[in-house]
Formats: sequence, C-alpha cells, structure tokens
Amino acid sequence: MKLAPLSTLIRHHGQPHELPPATAASCLAPHAVAATFDFHTVTWQADGFGFDSTSGEFFTASPTALVVMQSLSEGMTRQQILDRLTTRFEVSHSTAERDLESFLAEIVHLGLTTESN
Amino acid sequence: MNASPIVAVTGLHRGENPQPGSAVIRSLRRVYPELRIIGLVYDSLESGLFSEEDAPDAAFTMSYPGAGVDAFWQRLDAIREIERFDVLIPCLDAEMGPLVDAPEKLRERGIHACLPTAASFKCRDKSKLAELCERTHCRTPQTVAVSDVNALHQAAASLGGNVFVKGRFYEAQHALTPAAREAAYWHMLEQWGAPVLVQENVQGEEYNVIGLGDGRGHMLGSCSIRKMLRTASGKGFGGMVVRDPQLDAIAQSLIAELRWNGPFELEFVKSEGPKGEYCLIEINPRFPAWCDFPSTLNCNLPAAALEQALGWQPREPLRHASPGKFFIRHAIDMTGDIRDLAALTTNGQFFRQPREIIPHPASSRSL
Repeated sequence: MKLAPLSTLIRHHGQPHELPPATAASCLAPHAVAATFDFHTVTWQADGFGFDSTSGEFFTASPTALVVMQSLSEGMTRQQILDRLTTRFEVSHSTAERDLESFLAEIVHLGLTTESN
Repeated sequence: MNASPIVAVTGLHRGENPQPGSAVIRSLRRVYPELRIIGLVYDSLESGLFSEEDAPDAAFTMSYPGAGVDAFWQRLDAIREIERFDVLIPCLDAEMGPLVDAPEKLRERGIHACLPTAASFKCRDKSKLAELCERTHCRTPQTVAVSDVNALHQAAASLGGNVFVKGRFYEAQHALTPAAREAAYWHMLEQWGAPVLVQENVQGEEYNVIGLGDGRGHMLGSCSIRKMLRTASGKGFGGMVVRDPQLDAIAQSLIAELRWNGPFELEFVKSEGPKGEYCLIEINPRFPAWCDFPSTLNCNLPAAALEQALGWQPREPLRHASPGKFFIRHAIDMTGDIRDLAALTTNGQFFRQPREIIPHPASSRSL
C-alpha cells in the first residue's frame, strides 16, 4: 500500500456544511486500525472519522494519518511509529520521517495533542 | 390553584430569530401531555399558535412592553379572569425586568414562576458582565455601554475598531467601519433602547450552556453545545452536545456566584488556537429556542422548571446529554385558519379547536 499524504487530517466545523472531501479510507487494510480507539479527547473510528467530545469538533483522517493517531494512542515513540509506517506502506524512511514531523506539528496546532506528547 | 395547574408561556414565534416558547411547550408536553397551556402573544401571527404539535390550548394577546408596566399587569389580570393560569414561564428578555422587579405582584396573584432575584438578574446584565467575570475568573470581551454616537466611536477605537454593536436585550451586528457602526447603533437604539453595547470581537467557536439554577448556587441540570450552524444574524441553527469539564466548571462558578434561580443560557466563544480559552459573551435569563433538544436526551429542563416553580419533587434527576448528539433546526410551513386569526385580532383571544381533517379523494379509493 502506498503512503497517502499524512497531512490529510481535515477538521470539520459543521459550517459551511459541505460534505468532507473524499479520503482514501477504502484503501485502509482491514487489520490496520481497531473498530474505535481514543486518543487525547478524540474517539476515532476505523473509517477515519474522529469526534472530539469536549470541543464538539469532528475530523476525517486519511488511512495513514489514522495509523499515526492509533500509534500515538498506544503510546508509541516516533521511531516505533516510523517503523510501523515503513512496514505497512511503500514509503522510504526519509519520506515517512519528513511527513510524520509535519503531521505531528499539525495535530499540535489543531489542539489534538500537546507538544509534550 | 387549579387541581391541575394551568401554565402560561410567552415567546411563541419561531421565525428567523426563533423564540423559545414553542420549545418550552413541546418539552412540557413530553412529560405532562394533558397539561393545559395558554400562550401569551404580542402578535396574532406568532407562528407557534398554528403548530400541530406544540401550540397552546388557548392564546391571548398581551400589551406591548412599550405600553408600560401597569398595562402589563392589567392585561395579565384581564386574561386571568378568563383563564386563571397558575404558572408563568416568561421566554422573552424584555418581559423579565418587570417580573423580577416585582415578585410580590406574582405572589399576591397566586402565580408561580421560576425567576432569579432582582440582584442576580442585574449582575448578569450585558453592561455588568466584566464585574461578574472578574469575581469568577472567567474571561469576557471588553464591553462599553454607550448612549451617543461620539461615545460609540470612542469605544470602538479603544477596542481596536473590529467590534460588535449589540442591543440591550437582543441582536448583535459585526461592524468594521464607522458607517457600519453608526448604522448598527441607530438600529439597536430604535429596537431596544439605550444603552447600546460596543463589544470587542473575539474570534473562535461558539459554545452555549443551557441550565436550571436552584437559587442556592447549584445547577439542577445543564447541557452544553457547540454551535454547528449559524444564520446570517448569528443565531444557532444546529448544535452538537459537548462535555468539557472546563466549560462545566466555568458555568458552575458563574451560577454559584449569581445564586441563579431558574432557566438560563450562557453564551461563550472559545478563542482560536490550541490554548483557546472560553470567553463569556452574555447570559440570557431564560430558556433559549433550542431548549427542547436536551429534553429528547433525558434532560427536560422546562419540565424541571415547572416542577421547581410549583414546589413539586422532581420526577427524576436530570441526566447529562451524551456528546455527539446534535440538533439541526428544520423550518416547515404550517396551516392557519382565518377564523383563528380573526379571533385573536378582534378579541385578543382564541381557543384551539380540533383541526378539520380534509380527506384526500384518493383516501377513499380501495387499492
């Protein structure tokens, strides 16, 4: 499986209420993500839909973004997450590392985790 | 008091700026389907009068608030000669002042109501929010009350120019230019009287908390939402239940400080960014138009307010609505009858009759 852009994590505010852009969720390997898991205050579904019960915001994540979120929820280190990404997706270590750094910065900006995590 | 209480509810128009009365009626009937409810209206075209599901059993026109307090009480007495209602649930801000200022007038008439004290009512006034928030360590936008155009422009300049101009009771307009500010000022003055409020613009997501205070500093129940959809005038048209301990704690501290009795709605903006803080925009001293939504989630605040007003034991504890449940408002057309309109317009009253059923020709055909 190819690595979809990790930055495909989209925040939906409910207004304007267009349907979210299509994600590559259908490409997700069935074993990749549990039916649901929690990370920080967001509950994620296997299809990439996340709901934050404290802010009421909801998100859609690409399959690769979802793998990272699940890895974070399992308490993995960056190196472990990189290993998981390069094992599951056809991607070089350097590309995965660059995308992961950028993605982690994005989820800090969205308030989905803190710097310390 | 009547063997089975009769309840009067105001604010039945659910137009572009929906009033809460019809939602209150719907919630009351969820628990007390046989309850007799009368509507007190200011216009014979208040849409809730013509609803199939949440219309009152009878309706009476009230005198406009501009006619004065004496006219208000005289009209209430005249209505009670016909329908001796026992409980009043006011749903409009402009009605609250005369009621909280003279609770003895309600008591001597034997009318039960669930109202804040005059002191706590005044403490949540838009022009007093800063003082309340200082005492409760809650953020609030800087707000300046103005009564002339020079003061308006001075206040706007001191707040950086990007401001909201707000009416004393309702309405807010975002104004970036002096011309827009002035137009908004005159509109608010004409609609709601002085003073007009000039408020710093805090950008972020809007959150609202509806609840019921017991008058001793506790909340009997509450429900928090994030506004998902807004109309052009900023009214919530959809909301998602949230459960944020930080928001709950702020709401609790405000209600404890006010020792609020009765229904309320707290309006917040959460500033943008990962360290966004809740900023209190205003406190509405009544139920909001979305008050029936929590009732569908085992948090029936209007029914609890009725029980509180009558001194009844609550049926059951109010539950917290589950995060993830949401409402979307849906506007529909309703059918009225000219006879109802005529009765209200000429006599100031109408009594709901069973609706005529007009059979469709196809319904008599055998399939």
